[in-house]
Amino acid sequence: MNKEHLLQTDEKVTWVSYAALLFAIVFFSGIFSTAKGWLQVLDFTVLQGSFGTIGEGGKEVFRGSGGTGARDGFLFALTLMPSVILALGVISVVEGLGGLAAAQKLMSPLLKPLIGIPGICGLALIASLQSTDAGAGMTKTLYESGAITDDERTVFATFQISADATITNYFSSGAALFAFLGTPIIVPFVVILVFKIVGANLMRLYLKKVGQKTKNSPAAA
Amino acid sequence: MAKSEVAAGSRRTLMDMFVEGARRGWNIATTNMMPNVIMAFVLIQALKVTGLLDIIGKVFGPVMALWGLPGEAAAVLVASFMSMGGGVGVAASLYTAKKLSGADITVLMPAIFLMGALVQYMGRCLGTAEVDSRYWSHIIAICVINALLAMWVMRAILIFF
Repeated sequence: MNKEHLLQTDEKVTWVSYAALLFAIVFFSGIFSTAKGWLQVLDFTVLQGSFGTIGEGGKEVFRGSGGTGARDGFLFALTLMPSVILALGVISVVEGLGGLAAAQKLMSPLLKPLIGIPGICGLALIASLQSTDAGAGMTKTLYESGAITDDERTVFATFQISADATITNYFSSGAALFAFLGTPIIVPFVVILVFKIVGANLMRLYLKKVGQKTKNSPAAA
Repeated sequence: MAKSEVAAGSRRTLMDMFVEGARRGWNIATTNMMPNVIMAFVLIQALKVTGLLDIIGKVFGPVMALWGLPGEAAAVLVASFMSMGGGVGVAASLYTAKKLSGADITVLMPAIFLMGALVQYMGRCLGTAEVDSRYWSHIIAICVINALLAMWVMRAILIFF
């Protein structure tokens, strides 16, 4: 991967990017799930719709009830697939419109106070929310290029690995549980992000406590 | 392929973006989510017919009660540690088997991810980033602490819903 690419995103952040980010937050927050009129188009569960019903009384979807084992698991997974496809489709649009770049721009100045890593890690951080491997690879390059110290890398990796690839995993695997949640979809997601920060700070405190000398990374790369 | 032409230009329409993501969703759903869910449903079925699920429920009951969860919830956490999809699948099948309630699932939700898939992420995250191996055990411990604390936070948040 090109190193310069890691330090700055070439994506321009415009009002469209911020609008896309705002849309994503609203869309998955469930604010408009019970809205009347056109506003409900802004909600994930509304666009997800519902399955037609079958059977006497029309109470069951095709999964039926009382199933067990692999067969029930298969039909259950089938009922989830539309949610996964819709969620990742919408996230792709938000990403394409620069929504994630906007999030990066808003977040970069906060990285130092929140996690203790330089703002330059913003792009790697956003990448790590989508892909474990991309985030980790960029982190290695950040260290090798001298942008972060060894300790900062450890703290950053702690942030990443807890609920790694958060957006991708939460909105794909996690979709299996959306229907059972007692809160809007976005609430556990926010709790996850908060604890990623908490975890990184636990590591930060630990490193401080053991008095690990901060090794300055080699300038060459 | 026409797809790469579209991706190269800046004239990618919203529809193109959506379809591209939707295709990724299909791939993840079929190659990752579905096999994991089936694995979990089979696992729970096996635990049920052997009577082991009840034993797990009894043994872990007192511990999981700390978070107001039934003992079976421990199976969700153990499965999560191996893979997030597995943890989600076990949670879903325990819900289907009426061993976990919607509130229980809500409490477990962040934990499934915060301590999720650590077995494989040790290599894919810490290994790839070349994090000092002295700290790996600490990092894993922090992930588990994150998960356990998050369950209490979710329990508290549920009061407002």
